[in-house]
Formats: sequence, C-alpha cells, structure tokens
Amino acid sequence: MTRMSLVRIKTRFCRGFDSSVGHIVRNYSVPASSEKHEKKAPQYPPIQDQFFKERRRRTYEKWHEDIKSIKTVEEKLFKINVPRYYGWKSLMMHEYQIPYNSLDQAQYITRTHLVKDMKLPSYYETLLGSDQLDHIVQEIRSQVEDAIAFEYIDRKREGILSENEFENRFLIDSTMAEAVVRQVNRILLANLSSKYSHLLETQVDYNSRLEAFWVVGGIDPTYQVQKCKENVPYLKKYANDPVDRHIQYKGKPIAQLRYDFPLHEFISLSESENPALTVPQYTLDPRTLGYSHEWQHGTSIPGFWPGDKSEFGGLSYHNCSYLTIRPKEYNDEIDALSTQSLLASYAWLLSQACYQGFSTFNDLTYPLVTQTIITNGQTWSFSAYQLNTTVVHSDHVNNNPRRNVCWITKPLKLFEKVENGKLVGFNEDVLRYIVSFYANAPQERVGINMKPYLGETENVVADIEDPERRAWLEKHYKHLVSNRPRHRLRPEIYAWQKIYMIDNKRRPMEKRREPWQFNINMGRRRLDDHTPEYIPKALRPGGPKSRKKWANTYYP
Amino acid sequence: MSTRWYPVYQKGNPQLRVFLPNFWLKIVNPTMKQPKNVVQFHCSMEMTVLDVKQYLKKIYDVHPVQVNTRIQLGKIRPEPYKSILTKEEDVKVAYVVLPKDQTFEYPPLFEKDDTKDKNVTDDMAALEEAKKGFKAFIKRNKVPGTPGWFA
Repeated sequence: MTRMSLVRIKTRFCRGFDSSVGHIVRNYSVPASSEKHEKKAPQYPPIQDQFFKERRRRTYEKWHEDIKSIKTVEEKLFKINVPRYYGWKSLMMHEYQIPYNSLDQAQYITRTHLVKDMKLPSYYETLLGSDQLDHIVQEIRSQVEDAIAFEYIDRKREGILSENEFENRFLIDSTMAEAVVRQVNRILLANLSSKYSHLLETQVDYNSRLEAFWVVGGIDPTYQVQKCKENVPYLKKYANDPVDRHIQYKGKPIAQLRYDFPLHEFISLSESENPALTVPQYTLDPRTLGYSHEWQHGTSIPGFWPGDKSEFGGLSYHNCSYLTIRPKEYNDEIDALSTQSLLASYAWLLSQACYQGFSTFNDLTYPLVTQTIITNGQTWSFSAYQLNTTVVHSDHVNNNPRRNVCWITKPLKLFEKVENGKLVGFNEDVLRYIVSFYANAPQERVGINMKPYLGETENVVADIEDPERRAWLEKHYKHLVSNRPRHRLRPEIYAWQKIYMIDNKRRPMEKRREPWQFNINMGRRRLDDHTPEYIPKALRPGGPKSRKKWANTYYP
Repeated sequence: MSTRWYPVYQKGNPQLRVFLPNFWLKIVNPTMKQPKNVVQFHCSMEMTVLDVKQYLKKIYDVHPVQVNTRIQLGKIRPEPYKSILTKEEDVKVAYVVLPKDQTFEYPPLFEKDDTKDKNVTDDMAALEEAKKGFKAFIKRNKVPGTPGWFA
C-alpha cells in the first residue's frame, strides 16, 4: 500500500476534529467501492427517547439492573445505600406509633389489599380436621391456663419492675404480653413437635431486630420540591409530578419462628393480579398523618443475618399494649391492629425477600407467606399475609398488576379475667387459631429457583473467596446497617446564613468557606466519596518505600 | 385568662363593656393539601393544643380527635429604601383532625368573575401586541447609524 502525504496541518489547530486530520492520506490501493460493504445492512443503535424524564428513567433502570446482577445479599443491600453518604431522607415508621386514620396510607405504600370480612383464608379450614384440632386443644388447654394464671398471679416481678413502673399500664401490659407469648410458644412447641416434625427444626428469636427499607412512588411533591422545579426552566412542567419517598420501617416483635422452607401460598401469583383486589389511594404527603423524616441508611433486617439456614418466616408475635396509651378519642382499635399487622408482615416478608436476592427494585418470582399474631396477653388478633410484589417505586405503585393480600381476624379475648388463681371465661377458639398457625407446615418449593438473582456459589459475603474483600465487605456492611452517626456531622446552613447570606445578600465581602457557597449539596454526597484508609509505611505490603498509600475499597 | 388589663373605669358613656380574651381561632385555607378530615387554623400564640381542643369543644361543640400545632416563621424581607431587614410576625398554625367520617372543605370565598377575566386577557393581549411593536421599533435595522423607524 502506498501512502502519500499531500498536506501537513498542525494538529493543534484542529482540536475537536478526528485525530487523523494531522495527515491527509490517500490510499491508492483501496478500491473505491467493494461489494462487501454494499451488501452489509447498516447497524444502528436503537433510537431512544431523549426527553429528560425518559433519560432519568433509563438511568434508574440501569441502577436497578446493576443491583440485580450483584451476586451476594449484603452487596445488594449495600448498593442501595451507595448514592448517599449521610443516608437517605426516609419516612420513619415505628411499629408502635400508628397515627390516626393511617390504614389507607399503609395499604397504599405496601400495595396491599385488606380482606374485609375479618376472616383468615380458607386454606386454614382444610389444614386440620376439626376433630384433630379439638383433640390437640383439649390436650394443651390446661397447660396454657396454668401457665397464664402463673404469669398473672404467682410470678414475682418486684425485682424486675420498680414501684413506679407498676403504675405504668403500658409497661405492665407489654411485660405480660411477652411473658404469655413465651409460655404459649413453649407449650405449643413442646406438645406439637412430636406430631409436626417441622417444629423440631424451628428457630425461635425473641425481641429480634425487624427493619425494612423500600421506595414508594406516586406521592405528592412537597412545597419545596415544587418551588425548586419551578425555578429550573426545563423542570417547570414536571413541578407537580408525583415523587418517590424512601420508607424505613422499624419493628420490635416479641418472638419470631423461622423455618428452612417457606409456607404454602394462599393464592397464586396470577390470582394476585385480579383487579377486584382493590388498594386505596393515598397520595398525600405522609407528614399530614404525623409521620416524620430522618436521614439514615436503608436497612433490611428480618431478625437474623444473611447466611442463616432458617431464612423463611413462619410466625411472628407482636405487642399491642401501645393501645392502652393511645388517646381514647381515636376509637379505632381494629384499624390500628390492621395497620400494625399489615406493616409488620410486609416489612418482615420484604426483608426476607431481600435475603433471597430480591429488593424493592427487583420483583419477586414467587409469593412469600407469613402469619402474625398481635396480643397483649389477653386479647389476640390473628393475621395472614401473602407478599406477591415488592416493586412499588415510581409509577409501579399504581400500575403494578400484582397486589399483596392481608387477612386479619377481629381481636378475640383468650380469657375474661383472672379470679381466685384461675382464668375465667377461657376461649378455646383462640387456642384453635394458634394451633392451626403452628400446624401450618412449610414446604420445599420444588422446581422453583428460590434465589434467581444471587450467585450460584456466592450467595452471601461469607462465600467470597478473596479474604481482603470478604473482610472489608463484612466490616463495612455491618457498620452501615448499625446506622451510627458520622464522626463529623453533616454540614448545615445556619439560620443566620440563610437570612443574611442567601435570601438577602448582606455580607458580600466575606470569604466563601461553606460547601453551599460552592454549589455543593452535602445531602448528595456519595458513600464512596471519601479518602480511603491510609496504610502506614511500616504496614505497606510492598515495603515502607512502596507507593501504595491508600487501602483498597470494595464498594459494590 | 386574659393578659390584657381590664379597662380602668372612666366616668360617662359609652362604657367599654365588651372585653375579648386573647384566645382566638381563625380558619384558613390549607397551604398544602390535607386529608379531608383535617382543618387548618391560625390561633393566638398563647394557645396550646389543649386550649384549641377546649375552644372548639366548648364554643362550637366540635370534638376533634387530635390537634397538632406548629409555629410558622414570619417572612424576613428588606425594608424598602433602607438597609435593614424586617421580619413579619410569627403565626401559630393548628391542624385539627376531625373523626374520619367528618369532612371539611374550605369554601371558595370569592366567586370567579368570568367577564372580568376576559377583560383582563384582552388587556394582556393588547399589551403584548404593544410590546411586540415596541420591540420591532427599537430593533436595530440594517442601516447603521439610523433610528429604528428608518426602514
């Protein structure tokens, strides 16, 4: 091939052009056209919508796909938190703080249909024959009566509770609830485990840590968000668009029973797409109900760490003694119990689903089921919950065809009162419900890949082979979910700065020091936006003279 | 209840007989969308949650389920032609939650006058026309050094 330079052009005059501009080259040996080129159909990338909203949707979608492709549970949960150094601004929902009239909102943010007839699903009717059930109830009735009477009358609590605390109705109720639940659970496990082998393998946790984090769309924007968007020309038309909210749930179950396999589903996934399962709309700002926000890392913890063999929840007991300190004007006991059981069940199942590799961005491929009991020792309400979908962010909150379903019973009294060392008016129906919850055996889902979005050999961080990466991820994941405050607090804009420097420019000559003066939004700082750990010279792997000053980081 | 001084007796008429307390509630249009059973009030700074409840119960026989209050900071703005900033008074806002089967909607106090609107839009259109004409008038024309009207 002969090449001949015709003209020489100085490259620095041609910035922005192709790098081949330096020489204009004529390749004489190349034919003017070739058949090969003519035949080949041109390959173009797909045409994508370049409007702002669509581009932003694609960015988020890519992020969701990235989370899906990560192999281990902890890294997935870690990845959700990487965009925020100081944590997400999350709506805090505490289990025992249920605002007035908040059932609709709870249903909306969990996309849950609440079955109105106050009954458990028909699945329980076929679970045990009535004769068998009566037989078991008769067997354990006297034991349960004795144990509860013992807790209410004979147990001495003087050493545990102080004198003032005996006056505290809430504290007494919650203490009694815990004591009764422990007794009932002990008696049922001891008596039923000979009949139901799954109870032998059951893991029981008391006062475990129940946390769940998810993203909900479709919420009305706040005044500040509206104003911010109106001030930017290309965002102006989106000012009234619904926004996403991050939700952090924190629960405190009395006890949880976990199994190796999941419970049998009540309805199939296709049935959950039935539009007759209605979900109410509540798009107002959740602060209108009395909820508040906090900056914190999103944590999803179902009461145990990833890697535990018994990773499917079967039954959880919760406390309803907070009803005693709720204002009497509310007069909404059933609504409060429904809200509590719905949120507690959703949060527990969501965090379990996270341990199976799903998340609030990657939907379930099979349903999960749990049973919840809410009690104060005397009054018991039973609920069953089926999680069909976890995706409620952006417009999925209205368009997702799947719905979660919750069944709940009316609160029932186990006994009327305690008199002369005995329980009066013992209600066997309550015991029947409890027995049927314990008898509901978990089953292995044959032919279903339970962890489609996790690695084949690497499921959790403990499976990672590289020791340094494994140790780093373990340490930093646990530190992240501990949600300790940062050593240096987040820089803030003080009131005097807002008045005299931002709103009214009265100090123009001052040196600019604060981040906001350089257009840096500290709330947007990323988790990996920090100097890595320094390796002292003596500890450097390549010797003291080696250049490797900074330790590796392994952010997912 | 009142922090005001009872008016000193003065001879002659008319006597000052009406003596209002410091407690007052003013129903306002909610700034942000609220649930249907929530009513927004402005109240006097001295009133607490309990006072608001009692006020509604005793005077209007309205039985709220819950009352929340907050203090809204007054706006700070520069005084015109002076180098100082002035601040408006703070306002205490009360959100009164009614039982969920009761609803309240703030009524439209001022009916919209369509004819007035039409006049306004016509005026605006005329103004826009005039603006356009003026812009065309002052626009630089192709002959430099000549005024705008020189075609």
